[in-house]
Amino acid sequence: MNFEQFQNQSRLYVIGALEPEEIDEFEKARKKFGKKAEDFITKCYALHEAFALSLRPAKSSDAIKERLMAMLKAKKQS
Amino acid sequence: MARSELTSTRRKSKKRVRIAQSRVVPRTIAPALKPGAPSDFELMKGIQAGDADALSQLYDRYNGILKALILRVIHNEAEADDLLQEIFMEIWNQAKNFSEQKGKPLGWMVTLARRRAIDGLRKKQAYARAEERLQNETEQQPDAWVHNATEEEIVLSDTRVLIRKVIMSLPPAQQQAIDLAFFRGMSQREIAAKTNTPLGTVKTRLELGLKKIYDGLKDLRDEL
Repeated sequence: MNFEQFQNQSRLYVIGALEPEEIDEFEKARKKFGKKAEDFITKCYALHEAFALSLRPAKSSDAIKERLMAMLKAKKQS
Repeated sequence: MARSELTSTRRKSKKRVRIAQSRVVPRTIAPALKPGAPSDFELMKGIQAGDADALSQLYDRYNGILKALILRVIHNEAEADDLLQEIFMEIWNQAKNFSEQKGKPLGWMVTLARRRAIDGLRKKQAYARAEERLQNETEQQPDAWVHNATEEEIVLSDTRVLIRKVIMSLPPAQQQAIDLAFFRGMSQREIAAKTNTPLGTVKTRLELGLKKIYDGLKDLRDEL
């Protein structure tokens, strides 16, 4: 696998779309390319952020935050 | 403004055009912060140190985005609210695993939220119901991104406009493949079966589509 192919596979990998039989070869290439590979995969995770930011923010119930903070308080006290 | 007005009249290389375009597109990927507000990294450090107020601020900043993501996966308002709460608890519990070297806090939170939402979808056996809803949506509107973008009443942020512009520049079949993979957690085989498309075609659509989005976001990469 050359680096361009690795880049294509990386983008599939970060969204969980690599098929099981592709994973082994991907991991071998990942080791082969070392830091360069890790840096590229890190950049690919920006796709997650972009997809989320492409959505219109949704309103959540005010009670959620209250419950969350109450849970934190209880957790810190325990 | 015409492209020619943005570029130098001396040289009109592709590189110069790209630089000129970057001047007219927003450079901020995350929602704008008020002056003096702590950065996401500072809030994450606060959470790592056990500061509940830091989590409260992070919640105020991103609950809308994460809720939208969860809703897109599970299509159920009440379940989405419950999951949102669980996800922020997980952010609190897992904050020690966050590292600046591995990206920005929002990316980390989105990754976490997406995984939990897809797990939740499967665990709660809402999958079949969501599938049915998805089927109906797919028949009515093959591409949900396009569907969202046509809602005229939505006031979009500059960032969202830019990202959607990139996504919508893709052929509908590529958008659909990415949508099913990212928001439904479907494998290539599942997408192939669902869309009655050869596996190799699905793979090509995903690869081409993701590359175009990745390249299209190049101007924003530093901010991402």
